[in-house]
Amino acid sequence: MSSNAEIERRIGNDYQAGFVTDIESDTIAPGLSEDVVRFISAKKGEPEWMTEWRLKAFRAWQEMAEPTWAHVHYPEVDFQALSYYSAPKSMADKPKSLDEVDPELLRTYEKLGIPLHEQMALAGIAVDAVFDSVSVATTFRAKLAEAGVIFMPISEAVHEHPELVKKYLGTVVPQRDNFYAALNSAVFSDGSFVYIPKGVRCPMELSTYFRINEAKTGQFERTLIIADEGSHVSYLEGCTAPMRDENQLHAAVVELIALDNSEIKYSTVQNWYPGDKEGKGGIYNFVTKRAVAHTNAKVSWTQVETGSAVTWKYPSCVLKGDNSVGEFYSVALTNNYQQADTGTKMIHLGKNTRSTIISKGISAGKSQNAYRGLVRMNPTAAGARNYTQCDSLLIGDQCGAHTFPYIESKHPSAVVEHEATTSTVSDDQLFLCRQRGIDTEKAVSMIVNGFCKEVFKELPMEFAVEAGKLLEVSLEGSVG
Amino acid sequence: MISIKNLHANVEDKNILKGLNLEIKPGEVHAIMGPNGAGKSTLGNVLAGRDGYEVTDGSVTLNGKDILEMEPEERAREGLFLAFQYPVEIPGVSNLEFLKASVDAVRAHQGKPALDSVQFLKLAREKCKAVNLDQSFLKRGVNEGFSGGEKKRNELMQMMLLEPSLCILDETDSGLDIDALQVVAEGVNAMRDANRSFIVVTHYQRLLDYIVPDYVHVLANGRIVKSGGKELALELEEKGYGWLESADNGAA
Amino acid sequence: MAEQFHAQQLALATEQARNPLLAALNAAGQQAFAAASVPNRKTEAWKYTSLHNLLTGDFQRTASQSDLTAGLREVATLGSLKAARLVFINGQLSSELSDALALQQVTLFSQADAEQQALISQHLGTVLAHASSNNSGSAHLFNDLNNAALNDGVLIHVGKNQRLEQPLQISWLSSNNPQPFSITSRLLMVLESGAEATLVEHYASDEQPQNSFTNALTELVIGDNARLQHYRLQLMQEDALHIGSTHVDLARDSQYSAFHLGLGTRLTRNDIVVNHNVGGSHCELNGVYIPQNQQLLDFHTCIEHKVPHCTSNEVFRGIMNDKARAVFNGRIHIHPQAQKTLAELSNKNLLLTNTAEIYTKPELEIYADDVKCAHGATVAQLEEKAMFYMQSRGISKKEAEVMLSFGFINELLEALPHEDIALVLRPLLAHRFGRDQSLSRHLLENETAGLSGENA
Repeated sequence: MSSNAEIERRIGNDYQAGFVTDIESDTIAPGLSEDVVRFISAKKGEPEWMTEWRLKAFRAWQEMAEPTWAHVHYPEVDFQALSYYSAPKSMADKPKSLDEVDPELLRTYEKLGIPLHEQMALAGIAVDAVFDSVSVATTFRAKLAEAGVIFMPISEAVHEHPELVKKYLGTVVPQRDNFYAALNSAVFSDGSFVYIPKGVRCPMELSTYFRINEAKTGQFERTLIIADEGSHVSYLEGCTAPMRDENQLHAAVVELIALDNSEIKYSTVQNWYPGDKEGKGGIYNFVTKRAVAHTNAKVSWTQVETGSAVTWKYPSCVLKGDNSVGEFYSVALTNNYQQADTGTKMIHLGKNTRSTIISKGISAGKSQNAYRGLVRMNPTAAGARNYTQCDSLLIGDQCGAHTFPYIESKHPSAVVEHEATTSTVSDDQLFLCRQRGIDTEKAVSMIVNGFCKEVFKELPMEFAVEAGKLLEVSLEGSVG
Repeated sequence: MISIKNLHANVEDKNILKGLNLEIKPGEVHAIMGPNGAGKSTLGNVLAGRDGYEVTDGSVTLNGKDILEMEPEERAREGLFLAFQYPVEIPGVSNLEFLKASVDAVRAHQGKPALDSVQFLKLAREKCKAVNLDQSFLKRGVNEGFSGGEKKRNELMQMMLLEPSLCILDETDSGLDIDALQVVAEGVNAMRDANRSFIVVTHYQRLLDYIVPDYVHVLANGRIVKSGGKELALELEEKGYGWLESADNGAA
Repeated sequence: MAEQFHAQQLALATEQARNPLLAALNAAGQQAFAAASVPNRKTEAWKYTSLHNLLTGDFQRTASQSDLTAGLREVATLGSLKAARLVFINGQLSSELSDALALQQVTLFSQADAEQQALISQHLGTVLAHASSNNSGSAHLFNDLNNAALNDGVLIHVGKNQRLEQPLQISWLSSNNPQPFSITSRLLMVLESGAEATLVEHYASDEQPQNSFTNALTELVIGDNARLQHYRLQLMQEDALHIGSTHVDLARDSQYSAFHLGLGTRLTRNDIVVNHNVGGSHCELNGVYIPQNQQLLDFHTCIEHKVPHCTSNEVFRGIMNDKARAVFNGRIHIHPQAQKTLAELSNKNLLLTNTAEIYTKPELEIYADDVKCAHGATVAQLEEKAMFYMQSRGISKKEAEVMLSFGFINELLEALPHEDIALVLRPLLAHRFGRDQSLSRHLLENETAGLSGENA
């Protein structure tokens, strides 16, 4: 496997978003208790119902155990050693506009390639940026408001649109859904809130960038997107974190509600710090993402995942309404000592519901990459259909690629098809390319991009380029 | 064109080539024949620079340049082309994309201007036609799901596109029926000219009825044990290799 | 409930185990079983398989009587299959129904000579032991229970380069008893280098309602370049309970070809574990499950590729009718050293009613890069186009359904290397699909077999 060794050597890329921003932060002491939950709630000036909602989640969490079924191994997380709230000090008085945002923060986002100003304007994308636990800037709010679209930090939505938050929060991912969701429900700090009114096609792409900066903090953002009847929205999230020796916890919850005839497209480019070449440090990414699709609605998850030390994530669709559609397109690349256990759940309840799952796992180095999926056809899902394709690409003989698809069917007219294959970037392939004058770097990149093609074409145009670049960065070291 | 002197090579620590000498001038076609395990395929792989084929002694110069220290892609750009015995499949990478990358790399090295997509597609279609491959093959993954004959014709098409100065055909005829063999031979013959040389490695004399060589060499036990004109192939067809091998073994 | 079952079984095992040759295995089994807990819905490998009927079945004794009923006589012939036959009734050897020929090739543990005893000591329990490290959920406490309670078993030894001309049929039959009872059965087969044999393991009952729990364990040791053709046919009465395991060790260049059929019982759990241990071996693992009424059939297969250059091909198909439920879990595990592995698995299912259920999970766990692995699973209904085509030729919808369902399974029967066995199984399955004779009348005509190929 001599040239595989070469690929491995070359894949050892350097994390490009790993700088630390030097900003004074307002961080509470580590530990979690009812008092901490109350503190977070008070810090945000939340109404009583919100505080109670959090406490209920906290009490549930105390009775729950961390899940152990995933194909990942990591030292036990000491939840009492983490700090559950961190905010840049200058945020104490919320900025009214971008001009008031700490210039250091703006520079941070520029370094990440997410200018909150002009370039996004040119691209016509509205951005909400979340730094540690709070939202620092939301662009284009006025323009969106004209269309009736609400796009703001969820902490503000609690105050400004309590009826919407009350009505939908926790309806897709209940507080006691799982260990991390319960934790998030108790201590979530901020995240994005989106509401698209009936019949409105959101005039621009919406985007949130998340960044963990402060050491020893957990980040627990919460995103709630409601697409009212007949509306349409495309949303993208991006994630980065600095390089730190210790592991950091990220336990987010995302809830999508697609009402009748609406469509939500949710894309993620996840590039949390994966840890160094020896597996030291990196983000534990334990995320619950779920959507409910009502009659004729469509929800599409697209994710390109290259970061995090450990990933535990299954963006799912509950296809509740008749004729609703769920899609999941995923590229997950693991390298060095990264571990990923990721996939999706498609729960078919309505008649003639359809789902498609395309999962591409790339394992390199000493990493472990698992697809775990569930397709469930309930007794009510007459005429439902699922197609799943799960491919793994192995680079080097030290890594692992695993597939665990659960298929449950209780309706005779439901059709489920699952296929999985594995392949490798083989010596023979590389040699053929090189014999034709194509160098190894280009050859590996061509093969990997070919492997991911079906998923990349699902990303919004602006981000397909970004995703391609991200993989190329991961492969840049891989060749040369 | 190419000058191989006293070439020794190991595969997995086993000595396969044991002092091979070969001189090929521009425009010449040399056939290399020999029994199984003689080192025929090893020669092609060593010349193309495959990993795992270790040269322990000797020298190889292509157009006056020492190629043994070059990476495989550098050798390819210098004009060396190996038509594989078993071309590998590369799913997900389209043939067209692959060919363009290859031609771009070689042309850039030769200081020729890059072809734009339209020009390239036109050229690729032309070559497809020349080797009797349907154009749909351009859209498919490299060699993916191709039959044995289609893979060989795909190799030939690449050779035509890259216009190398030295072509090594590694058992390109094996597994082909007579019709496919004729297509391949016609393609090769069309490419013969005063500036291009060929090494035709084959197990069967049959190919040499269609691609008539200037010289025939017998490779046995890692060395060339007999050389002659095209009539040598016929003699081998009749007598086999036994008489040559035993002579060589005696010498070794 | 689980505690009571656990205690009862442990007591029964301790009481049963009396063979000094097996004392060490018994002791280890008893210890392991005592320490293990009964699986429940939270146990991953038993997620969809409720043990309720077993736990509440009061199986605290062995069979008190073993009448040789006319039904059993009929069943034992396995449709007049030409085979050397060894028949057990409720766990006891029936010399009346067994062939002398079979008795030459087979030894009971209790009658083993010194050489055979040595073989038993060398191999018994060792194939099974691999499962405890493979993390497939196949190392469950029912194996421990079998070790714990084992008093006798069947040893088949096929010598070097020896070839058994006739299939060897081992029938484990059960009939009703006044009180619920359990049967512990065990089979050890050792094929020496270059040996060849066909083994038909046959679990069946007469048609009386049953109150039996069978715990059957088979270990197959296939030597260098040896070949085994294995049929495991589970045709028990629909109230019986059956937990069975097949564990296979493959040596260099050996071959295991198997066909597993699950038709009977209220509850069946079958584990099949194949270990590629040396290199160059090939496994062809096929199976069919067709539960109806309230049946629950669970197949857990696990193929362990531990070494380079081995191949596996696995095909399982199932048809679920009425309120039946099936579970299929097909795991392929490629260890880090197992480069150049080729492994494929296909699982296809048909649900015939909206009260039937299927849970399937093909799993790939891969730690080597230069391998070619694929799996596929489908759940579907009968193909509309084919249905319509048949109806347009005047065949009733009901009969078309029966013919297509049969065709779906028949594809695997057609591929069986022993036409004899296919001939025995075809009427059995035809009967299963066409409970109404008028619907199954065309199934056994050759033309039908030809047509059914279209329903791939």
